[in-house]
Amino acid sequence: MTASFDVIVIGGGTNGMVAATVLARRGRRVLLLEQGPQVGGEARATEFAPGFRAAAGSLDQGWLPPAVASALGITPPAFEAGTVSTGVALGGGEFLTLATAPATAADAIRHFDARDAERWPAFAALLRKLAGFMEALYVLPPPDIDTTSVGEILPLVGLGRKFRALGREDMIELLRVLPMAVQDLVDDWFNADQLKAAIAAAGVQDIRQGPRSAGTSFVLLHHLTGASPGAVRRSGWWREGPDALGRVLEEAATRAGVTVRTGSAVAGIAVRGDVVSGVVLASGEEIGASAVLSTLDPVHTIRLVDPVWIGPEVLHAFGNIKFRGVRATICYGLDADPGIAGGEAAVSLTGSLVALEHAYDAAKYGAVSERPHVTVTVPTRRWPGLAPSGQHVLVAHVQWAPYALRTGRWDAATSDALADAATKVIEEAAPGFGARVKHRVAMSPADLETRFGLTEGSVPHGELTLDQVLFMRPIPGYGRYRMPVRGLYLGGAGAHPGPGILGGPAWLAARALLADTKGK
Amino acid sequence: GEEAGMTSQRYDAIIIGGGHNGLVTAAYLARAGRKTLVLEKRPLVGGAAVTEEVFPGFKFSVFSYVVSLLRPEIIRDLDLPRHGLQILPLESTVTPMENGDYLGSWADPDESRRELRRHSPRDAEAVVLFGRLMQQMAMAVKPILGMLPPDPASLAPSDLAGMLKLGGHMRSLGAERFHALFKLMTMSSSDYLDEWFEFGPLKATKSASGIIGTFLGPRSPGTAYVLLHHYMGEIDGAFRAWGFQKGGTGAISNTIANAARALGAEIRTNAGVERVLVKDGRATGVALESGEEIQAPIVASCLDPRRTFLQLLDEKTLPGDLVEGIKRYKFRGSSGKVNLALDGLPDLTCLPGHGPHLRGAISISPSIDYLERAYDDAKYGEFSRHPYMDIVIPSMIDPGMAPPGKHVMSIFVQYAPYHLNGGWTDARREAFGDAVVNTLARFAPNIKSLILHRQVLSPADVERITGLTEGNIFAGELALHQLFFLRPVPQWAKYRTPVRGYWQCGAGTHPGGGIMGASGRLAALEILKGA
Repeated sequence: MTASFDVIVIGGGTNGMVAATVLARRGRRVLLLEQGPQVGGEARATEFAPGFRAAAGSLDQGWLPPAVASALGITPPAFEAGTVSTGVALGGGEFLTLATAPATAADAIRHFDARDAERWPAFAALLRKLAGFMEALYVLPPPDIDTTSVGEILPLVGLGRKFRALGREDMIELLRVLPMAVQDLVDDWFNADQLKAAIAAAGVQDIRQGPRSAGTSFVLLHHLTGASPGAVRRSGWWREGPDALGRVLEEAATRAGVTVRTGSAVAGIAVRGDVVSGVVLASGEEIGASAVLSTLDPVHTIRLVDPVWIGPEVLHAFGNIKFRGVRATICYGLDADPGIAGGEAAVSLTGSLVALEHAYDAAKYGAVSERPHVTVTVPTRRWPGLAPSGQHVLVAHVQWAPYALRTGRWDAATSDALADAATKVIEEAAPGFGARVKHRVAMSPADLETRFGLTEGSVPHGELTLDQVLFMRPIPGYGRYRMPVRGLYLGGAGAHPGPGILGGPAWLAARALLADTKGK
Repeated sequence: GEEAGMTSQRYDAIIIGGGHNGLVTAAYLARAGRKTLVLEKRPLVGGAAVTEEVFPGFKFSVFSYVVSLLRPEIIRDLDLPRHGLQILPLESTVTPMENGDYLGSWADPDESRRELRRHSPRDAEAVVLFGRLMQQMAMAVKPILGMLPPDPASLAPSDLAGMLKLGGHMRSLGAERFHALFKLMTMSSSDYLDEWFEFGPLKATKSASGIIGTFLGPRSPGTAYVLLHHYMGEIDGAFRAWGFQKGGTGAISNTIANAARALGAEIRTNAGVERVLVKDGRATGVALESGEEIQAPIVASCLDPRRTFLQLLDEKTLPGDLVEGIKRYKFRGSSGKVNLALDGLPDLTCLPGHGPHLRGAISISPSIDYLERAYDDAKYGEFSRHPYMDIVIPSMIDPGMAPPGKHVMSIFVQYAPYHLNGGWTDARREAFGDAVVNTLARFAPNIKSLILHRQVLSPADVERITGLTEGNIFAGELALHQLFFLRPVPQWAKYRTPVRGYWQCGAGTHPGGGIMGASGRLAALEILKGA
């Protein structure tokens, strides 16, 4: 056995680097293990074709809570908010673009419905208020029914105050909206189908549900945390490139004294006498530590532990987590700008609620949508350096493409067929697109599983359905980062507050670990 | 009308609508000594719980068809058995399968387990634990059903006390049961059952209870908690989970009406109310469609929220957010009903003959996919080509419902969307009826030759006859954002209205839906507190 550490952090993505740094800054000897050749995870831009780079994980930058940045002692990289929140294709090269400036967005909406334009500023303001409450909720461990420790209750008083500060109407509106179907929410406010479809698309990200399903309003608000006022979908980017945050985090980790080892896949978590004792690498090497913090997804994490240490009921509960990867990612290398208005943000190519719902139907029966719902962004609008001069990159998220196909399996042929369908959808939205494609790389949920170790290709580490968020994440009774084996902590997106909250789960998990090992 | 009544007479309270909730409210008010008048538009009381002789000699529970949830405290308080309440048990459910086999669930739990073991030994084990958990969950929910919903945004002492009581109740459940309840409240019935069972027809038949009356499929979140309803009756111990009232569901309404009358309430039928009379922000009585006006300081409506607020009152006198809240309150009727007068008994291919299974329910729910596809049709504005059907033959248990040797069959059908593409016409209604009969004929080929008469009711028909907006049988969807302190709208979930003396007492208030009477009872208790 090699030199022993206080804590081993598994996974070198954003969460892993945050956890390692927070722990090292509090005096712990920390080893960060990454299986790939570099840290950075899905957020890292990689070359998918000669001269073309893209980050496949997410269409937006996510939200770095200020509390996380300050716990790391970093200055976040320069952020460019942009002017566009999202957009929707109307077909034939036309788009409805929703600016973050409410008056600008209202002007665009007025072409479709005057009443909708009038209501827009109030709607955007309501969403901001509700998302603002979620932000407060997301920097605390999730309150649960048996929360009793003073340390956990005190911050909740602040949360309660924040809730009351919403004012009577908004308090009720928050409770009403959270469990709603996003379609019901937009139907309450608007007439124009295109507008409703643009908003609803943000509520069905990475979930095997359509816009009529309860809880999709929660998804909308979740992905709106940290967004600019006036936005209905998060946008904006790190000015210095997609890897800007990764570089800052890597630097912070080094400065804090974290030992980083890449190319080190973990094959098992060692347990001795009910307590975690370290990890075993795929190479067979054993490394000792008194605690392990994993940022892998919950099932991936638990599988690293010999099941004898985990009761059958708990194992069953982990087995019941709904992962259900439903999104394929396609990176296109283009020889010219694809002509997608608002392409610096995420643009949905599904122009009606019915089309959005239709695209979901096939997934219920384990099949791929014939006319999939495609959301695109053109990262070269933000960072021209991702492609050779004058050329462009387009990243497409394609739903619904279920991980578990009822007939056949994911292979080159099925991925190609899906990519063809997606290209056709993009062509309809932006005529001439097909002819501009020089390179195309498709990643099915099965590919995402293989490449990033995501169970069932689930990018959010488990669907954001109401039964799998807050204190129910990853499984009931284990919502506070402490896993069923003493000394093992979960700090990836499968823990509260979940995906897209950069470093959020890791920071809270690290704090739980620090609280447990105080004075040790 | 049944009782002519003097037009100049004064009452302490007027109840608009003789649905079972209105009758319950009336009975409780009369019991407290209030001189109470019930006004019903139709020639008979009961609302959606009526029995009618639709064809000569054939009596049907026209709309609702089984009883499970009538609150035991109501049965006790109003002494309903003395007034004719007699529930006949509905003991079994048979689900015909696509492969010609069947899944049976029988009155004897051991027999049911043996039957299930035939299909899945694992599920036969799990079903015991599942039943135990559901009973615990039903126990956990029961106090909430009987509770005045507190307003979480309010700092009023009564609301804070209510929130504390609710919080205390939740904490008393312990983390494990609280989490299980949370899952039930938020998951889809399909996902929830997947955690327990493997056998498709079992999951489909159980999940069917989660979709009844909603415009959701078994894979839609929010459908799991209705699974509990099946277990509510059992824990009450008053009667079996599901049953028939002797004489049909209308006889339940009559039983409650009899109890109300015995306590001194008056009931007038053929007396449709046009509007509530309001003076200086106070209700003073009602004006009938006939032009007659009747005075009373208390008026309660058991009609659904849209009619309670927007039809019976002048919209302009109401706060804007209330009007908007009522307008966005979701009804979305999703079910229809087909009532058949039969010359004999159907012969199921999977279970031939006239065995005891015909005394129970026949559930056309062969798989989750089947139900989900039925929902897919409805999502896009069509009735299901292959619908979910819950079938009972009441004359098997209660022979008085049909002439000797003949039978009545009640088929509850989903989905039939209120907003049908092109609208409901006579032709479309009959096409819907044909889809139902054709689907049934796949499992009971002799059915077509037995049909003497057929009554088909679309949600539009349900609305036209009963007044239930969009034909929603629960007076508004039982979705999370329309429950508890959000039912029907925030701030007006405690049976009150902005018009002093005017109350809500229908299923559009907490806890809503089903022949439960709980809304009517809670409303009456609030009225008596305030009056």
